[in-house]
Amino acid sequence: MSDPGEPIHDVSLLLSGANQHLACGTDVDELLGQAADGYASQFTSHQRDCLYCQAALREFGRIWQPVRSLAAEQVAVPAALKSAVASQIRKLVADVWYTLQLDDGGAIRIAARVVARLAREAAQDVAGVRVAFGRSTHSQMAGLAERATLRHRHPHAAVGVLGRTAVVDLAIAVRYGDPVDAVARQVQQRAVAELRRKVGLQDVTVNVTVDDVIT
Amino acid sequence: MGSDVSDDYLVRRAQEGYVDAYAELVDRHGGLAYRVALRLLGNHHDAEDVAQEALVTAWQQLPGFRGHSSFPTWLYQIVTRRALNRITRTRVTESLDLLGDVSAAGGEPGQHTERDLTVDAVTAAVTALPPPQRVAIVLHHFEGLSNGEVARITGSSIPAVRSHLFRGRRTLSKTLAEWR
Repeated sequence: MSDPGEPIHDVSLLLSGANQHLACGTDVDELLGQAADGYASQFTSHQRDCLYCQAALREFGRIWQPVRSLAAEQVAVPAALKSAVASQIRKLVADVWYTLQLDDGGAIRIAARVVARLAREAAQDVAGVRVAFGRSTHSQMAGLAERATLRHRHPHAAVGVLGRTAVVDLAIAVRYGDPVDAVARQVQQRAVAELRRKVGLQDVTVNVTVDDVIT
Repeated sequence: MGSDVSDDYLVRRAQEGYVDAYAELVDRHGGLAYRVALRLLGNHHDAEDVAQEALVTAWQQLPGFRGHSSFPTWLYQIVTRRALNRITRTRVTESLDLLGDVSAAGGEPGQHTERDLTVDAVTAAVTALPPPQRVAIVLHHFEGLSNGEVARITGSSIPAVRSHLFRGRRTLSKTLAEWR
């Protein structure tokens, strides 16, 4: 067993000192790292017999306890963060609107993203669908955008179109074992029916892509 | 529902323009962005701003994300960079409470005071560290990332991260020892 020598009276001195080793030869920084990582009481074979190391580890462990407690605390995320991000992204995405009515009484317009969301929700209700995401596209515009951005695809390329004709893309992942084509067809039919019923869009095309199977 | 799928799946869908897929990623990792910003900056107001900026930046840069690292690692890079920009612009912090509403919930008034003092002391000590040491300490000791992960996130080397950790731990320990 090493001679314990003088106990550690002043940790600041120990940490400030030019000599970064204890009398036993152990590197102070290594011990500090061990304590900071939460292993102050897990001694190596040398530390089991070394009172220098044990004293230093005990002291470093005490000093780091408040840091470790704080690091373990849950941080409450502001409730508004997600909606603030969504709002900013909406501004970035080229927002497109479907016009349902345009006459002397005024216009009724519905954002393409709302249509996409309703289609997504309709898809999620179909048995066998594990995940669904919706986006609104117009075949011609989407085709142009796709060619223009072939090498550097960007989310902004997914756009809808003015008018009464909606083209919605749904990407779904289905449950393993379910008939993929039947689930996809059901998703398509349900989304079309829901958009007609809830939004009043009569001319609706829903493209369904099954891109994953989840067990 | 989205919890069934991996981050990679959500990233691919978001890159194709499925905004809801990105919303799911924000749901999963928005807390990470806020937590890291809060620990690096030391106040809620700046942390919320930086987390928001980082999450919007990630959306804008998503087309260029090739998946060489995980989405959280990539987000760590963005939020750390944003926080460092904020640190160099504003050196003064107003509030030192890292835990905010959580620390205000429940408990005895006396315990609150003592606990708040501890939180303030640790936060003040962390935010007083030079930025490279602060980043290393926060990512390693608060986020539990390995030295290699910290090096990847900061674009540094493992020896450099170790050096920042050594120095940061020494400074932090001296400050906290004096405080006690």
